[in-house]
Amino acid sequence: MTDSNNSKERNNVKKEIKELVITRIEAQMSPNLRLSIGNQGSLNANEMIEHVKKGDEIGKQIIESHLRFIRAQASGHLLTALTSVFGE
Amino acid sequence: MKNGILMTLPESDDVTKYLSTFSKEIIGVCIYNQIPIKTIEKEKVTKSNVVSTLKKLDYKMIIFNGHGSPNCIMGHKNEKLILVEENHFLLKNRITYARSCWSVMELGEKAVERNNGCFIGYRTPFMFIIDITRAANPLKDNVAKVFFETSNLVPIGLIKGHTAEESNENAKRSMLKSINKALRKRDKDSQAIAQTLWNNYVSQEIVGNIEETLI
Repeated sequence: MTDSNNSKERNNVKKEIKELVITRIEAQMSPNLRLSIGNQGSLNANEMIEHVKKGDEIGKQIIESHLRFIRAQASGHLLTALTSVFGE
Repeated sequence: MKNGILMTLPESDDVTKYLSTFSKEIIGVCIYNQIPIKTIEKEKVTKSNVVSTLKKLDYKMIIFNGHGSPNCIMGHKNEKLILVEENHFLLKNRITYARSCWSVMELGEKAVERNNGCFIGYRTPFMFIIDITRAANPLKDNVAKVFFETSNLVPIGLIKGHTAEESNENAKRSMLKSINKALRKRDKDSQAIAQTLWNNYVSQEIVGNIEETLI
């Protein structure tokens, strides 16, 4: 595969990740909820989505937070951690 | 070093207002356990006030609430209070809990370099979710409460005589229990709450002398 194809592939993956995160934000954030992250104040769902679309520092942190949780679920790390406190 | 706590409580925006409001629980636990506590509040959370109080009061533990970055902790209107290579040595031999974004990364590591202190903080942004309909009275915000009740267990554990490591672990286990509780609810908000708590769980770290105690 050429460098140009690799770069195109990476951009497609980034775009799909952004779309996934946006879908999750739309599904999870009720209109009354705000996310507090960094020194940007509290963000509603639309503001979070704007940051994700722009790909700025806050957007990257939001994406990373979603991916961290998805990875933990997929790897079983989340389940193992949660099981460790069952019955406490 | 004296047995006591210095705590910053800035309130220059919604985020710091929440951090400071929910920190009042820590003051109550200090009073109950007869641990001296000095607070620096609102517009008084400036670099000069914090530095002079740190020098004057030789208290063993410091709690910072506020915005942060890998190399600094901020106060009122994001004034930089403690900065790597400028005054991080003020944290030497103390127990520091920084409820602020990223500060364990560089500042935390520097603060405990070649001394007996320890630093508990976050490697990514400290995140929480608020219910905007309760923003005027944060203590009635049951969505936000879980993020602070769990993280407050870091200083509360130390006040009650546990080691820094035990207090850090106890707070993190409390986060896991709250994630379990949120996921069992299966309502629209529970995924966002669980995910945000998980972020803080993964991100909260202790560096330095983990066996350090306050009492």
